Amino acid sequence: MAQNTYIGASTRSKEAPRHVTGRGRYADDMVLPRMLHACILRSPYGHARIGAVNAGEATQLSGVVGVIIPDDVKRRSRPFKPGRYAAGLRVPIPEYASAVDKVRYVGEPVAMVAAETRAKAEDALELIEIDYEPLSAVTDTHAAADPSAALIYEELGSNVAWQGQVSYGDVEQAFAGADRVVRENLKIHRYSSTPLEPFAIIAEHTPERLNIWCNSQAPEVVYEAVTEALGIDNVRVIVPDIGGGFGQKIHLIRKYAVLTALMAVKTGRPVKWIEDRSEHMMAGGHSCDQEFDVEMAVKSDGEVLGVIIRDTDDVGGSISTLTIHFTNKLNNLFNTYKVQHLRLEGRSVLTNKCPVVPNRGIGKPGMCFIWERMMDRIAQELGLDQIEVRRKNLIGADQFPYTTPNGNIHGSGDYQELLNRAIKNIDYDEVRKRQAQSRDTNRLIGISVVIGVEPGGRNAARDMAIFPESKQMPGAGGVEGATVKLEKNGSVAFTLGSPSCGQGHETTAAQIIADVLGVAPERISITGTFDSALSPWGVSSSNSGNNFHLYDVGAVHGAATRLREKVLTLAAHLLQTDKASLTIENGIVGRVPRSGSAEDDSITFAQLGKIAYGNQALLPDGFEPGLEQTYYHSHPHANPLMIPDAHGRVRAQYTFSSAAHAAVVEVDTETGRVRVLRYVIVSDNGTLINPSVVDGQIYGSAAHGISVALGEGFVYGADGQLLTLTLLDYGKSTTLETPHVEIEHYPIPDPFTTLGQKAAGEGAAIPSPAAIAGAVEDALTPFGVKVRHLPLSPERVWRLIHESKT
Amino acid sequence: MYPAAFEYFAPGTVDEVLELLARHGEDAKILAGGQSLIPMMKLRIASPRFLIDVNRIASLTGLRQEGDRLVMGALCRHAEVGRSGLVRLRLPLMADAASQTADVQVRNRGTVGGSLAHADPAGDWPAALLALDTTVTIAGRDGLRTVPLSEFIVDAYTTQLGPIEMVTEISVQLPKAPSGGAYVKFEKRAGDFAVASVGVQVELAEGGQCRSIAISLGALGAMPTRARAAEALLLGRAASPELLTEAGQLVQAEAQPFADTRGSVEYKRHLAGIIFRRAFAAAVDRALGREVETLHV
Ligand SMILES: Cc1cc2nc3c(=O)[nH]c(=O)nc-3n(C[C@H](O)[C@H](O)[C@H](O)COP(=O)(O)OP(=O)(O)OC[C@H]3O[C@@H](n4cnc5c(N)ncnc54)[C@H](O)[C@@H]3O)c2cc1C
Repeated sequence: MAQNTYIGASTRSKEAPRHVTGRGRYADDMVLPRMLHACILRSPYGHARIGAVNAGEATQLSGVVGVIIPDDVKRRSRPFKPGRYAAGLRVPIPEYASAVDKVRYVGEPVAMVAAETRAKAEDALELIEIDYEPLSAVTDTHAAADPSAALIYEELGSNVAWQGQVSYGDVEQAFAGADRVVRENLKIHRYSSTPLEPFAIIAEHTPERLNIWCNSQAPEVVYEAVTEALGIDNVRVIVPDIGGGFGQKIHLIRKYAVLTALMAVKTGRPVKWIEDRSEHMMAGGHSCDQEFDVEMAVKSDGEVLGVIIRDTDDVGGSISTLTIHFTNKLNNLFNTYKVQHLRLEGRSVLTNKCPVVPNRGIGKPGMCFIWERMMDRIAQELGLDQIEVRRKNLIGADQFPYTTPNGNIHGSGDYQELLNRAIKNIDYDEVRKRQAQSRDTNRLIGISVVIGVEPGGRNAARDMAIFPESKQMPGAGGVEGATVKLEKNGSVAFTLGSPSCGQGHETTAAQIIADVLGVAPERISITGTFDSALSPWGVSSSNSGNNFHLYDVGAVHGAATRLREKVLTLAAHLLQTDKASLTIENGIVGRVPRSGSAEDDSITFAQLGKIAYGNQALLPDGFEPGLEQTYYHSHPHANPLMIPDAHGRVRAQYTFSSAAHAAVVEVDTETGRVRVLRYVIVSDNGTLINPSVVDGQIYGSAAHGISVALGEGFVYGADGQLLTLTLLDYGKSTTLETPHVEIEHYPIPDPFTTLGQKAAGEGAAIPSPAAIAGAVEDALTPFGVKVRHLPLSPERVWRLIHESKT
Repeated sequence: MYPAAFEYFAPGTVDEVLELLARHGEDAKILAGGQSLIPMMKLRIASPRFLIDVNRIASLTGLRQEGDRLVMGALCRHAEVGRSGLVRLRLPLMADAASQTADVQVRNRGTVGGSLAHADPAGDWPAALLALDTTVTIAGRDGLRTVPLSEFIVDAYTTQLGPIEMVTEISVQLPKAPSGGAYVKFEKRAGDFAVASVGVQVELAEGGQCRSIAISLGALGAMPTRARAAEALLLGRAASPELLTEAGQLVQAEAQPFADTRGSVEYKRHLAGIIFRRAFAAAVDRALGREVETLHV
């Protein structure tokens, strides 16, 4: 490969201009001939039995073309097979695309109407009559787990749908040797990234196949669901621009893809369904509320010997993502620490709330919250400095590559140095002085420094460590493809195997191709967005699990490298020289050192393109015409531990970025309002391909994590009614509440990835809730307040202060 | 999120509006800025069959000074109030409210008349204007009538507007110097409705005593109210920390908040006392001629 000219530079964004000028193309922008508009009738109850359904009047309304009620779904579709995250289910439970016998959360889809216009369809919804028999709703895991609680799935005999554990090292021994056990109860609440664009689907049934346009992050999920449910195996899934994903658009979207497809089959016309904001708030999926009872066995010098965590996950009213937040905790189970003994026990409890889905980190923010809150607590109980307790337990810079007790291999890092830099950048000592002064006022200053890893790159064989009995091996490791093509006119086109939700994949991929091929990014463009019929895709072709940096980068690099070889072969033949003597610069292949006239010595991409696609006589013998290469990439270093060993050790993910976060907050003790005064991040994302793209990920994820900590979230009433149906009530921070995030990059290349790159997509969403919680607790030291539960809305903080006084 | 079908009218005069209201009665709704009505229609909480868009009635627009009063047409937008030099100079309490109502987009469309007619218990104009001498002019088939704001709103989302009536003007007395006011809104985040809000308008005597004082409470009951007991306590007296603590307690006692996702009864009542004290301090500072930016608490 030529020297890096573009990798490492913040080149101009390729996709931003179309998005900021309103020229992105989203599913809702597309119009098909004869297209109908669908909308969905949703459960007004948290828990109810569905009785008689009368859709007669709705069907007769003029403009209405199709109605689907639970009976149709039962008759005309099959339930989904239990997926990875239902692996722990005791008895198989069929789950259809809509509710069929019972509704289990407010907003659960019950019926669909398609009409000539969306307005007509909505009119018709009001005419569908459903006899509901309301059942008592449970919205809290403690009540739900009680044997007397109303059963959400009668088949299970209990709302505790799954229980299990993983254990590494010798936990009992570790506790036996401890000077003290530090205990705490911690909670993280329900939230979501509330992407700007809710779900959007168009389905069209042609004689050849079923075409689905949808904004799915993981097209494979939709692809398989539709085939499974409708028995149509000629399915084409096309993913246009996506207005944000964050994990929301992986799982539950399949229900709607099936319903919309069923409607298209039933009516024989293309059908568009666009979810609205409130629908997404109630039924698009939430991050799970998690409660942790934690015990840490420590020595008096702060060394952590062993850990026991009892994790209770409130998974809402569906069995399809039962263990998703539990299993993902294996990915950062030890965070940045060298502790050897740990047991994680889990329970997934059903409630009458929205099902849970991944959300920027899935369970990992919870895991980091546990570690970082406990580090502070240990320091307090032992009378030690909070940063020193962390230092004592950090994996040392000389220990990389480091294998955690559960089998994760951290390729590179320097956690002490991240802390050093965060402390310096936040002016730690200076803040402590200001804090002392603040103690005479009602505006208390607090500071916190936390650290976390950010795992990247999927390996679904992870789940076998938790479900050793599972019969089917979930897709192990990863596969992802990319195609790079030198066009006949000398420009370069590429196709990625995966969709993008706005993370600048086009820009980043073009930089890699530019450096490999020796052509400016301006000459390189993407052929289009994901299309299952055209994209080279595999199991990692999903915009999730921090996959892009590992799998797509590998695939793009591989395809470009192959193409470069082919270009050189053809050029060497035409210039009558050997490949080794050639270089490529600016789309011109030439001999080094250049001599004589350019014409004899070099040949342009355009000339090569013309010949490769058009002039057989000039091609070398045995040369496959054309200049297009596809490459499928798997992580070459996926072993050891791609599948679990006898001790259940497995690579849950493959790369480990890391970051230290330092937050300074001010708490108004009269109102409980928390303001973030400064927020500093020192981040190791390995080799940065495009620093400004990485910065974008960090800004966005920090903004979200901070907002989560400060109060955004879903609130349910005791009857299972969702009280936060709009963004106004949901309460995401605006730019006015979001601090400026100061970023320092401290990249240490990963020894095992293509370019030394590590992940950046989930990023700051993982440690930031812990950073804010720590800083608020620190501010409230004079009151002796302990911050255990999120969110820290003004009222919560006020109560903490208030209760400490009484 | 599409409204039910409706018939749309865009009359050019108040008389035509009244005629349409007379013809279509309860099934008709006036559309002003649309920032409350349209969301309700999209959620189908409201499904008027006839929509009377009053935005083309030029006589309802803008704001102006008439003698010692500020007069706003019913269509005067929140943002226009916030931009007005007269308001900033003479009625900083209103500038506080204007700049904290919703977000920029909503402020550019939403109207003062619509806000009062809508009478949201957490609305900012109803609460802020109640601390001032505010009247509402109503056009009906028998001509115009003017009522004090304190009588205009009668309950949550309810005013004394009859079925064939509309708001045409809102008029506010310009306070006499040395006086000052402040509207303090506690919102969970920028652009949200108030968790609790308090408006304070004071006129000071030479010795610093309150020659007149008005304290209004927003989001602290079914409709905005005046904290009369606290006003009575402070009237004629110069504020001291003890007096303000006592006044704060009276404010809390007079608040009748209800619990919702924005806060519990206990917290809202607590906030009422805290933000009253901050509003009072800002109002007095302004009365004394000190520059005080809008408080973001
Ligand atoms: C996202 C968002 C945030 C908001 N935040 C706030 C906030 O923080 N504080 C706040 O106070 N408000 C807030 N609002 C509401 C906003 O201020 C509205 O503008 C206001 O409540 C209504 O004014 P309008 O002109 O939009 O009225 P419309 O929505 O047009 O009408 C509202 C009601 O008043 C009636 N009406 C309107 N004009 C007249 C008239 N001249 N005579 C008789 N009846 C009339 C209508 O028939 C309707 O019933 C928010 C709105 C949104 C969408």
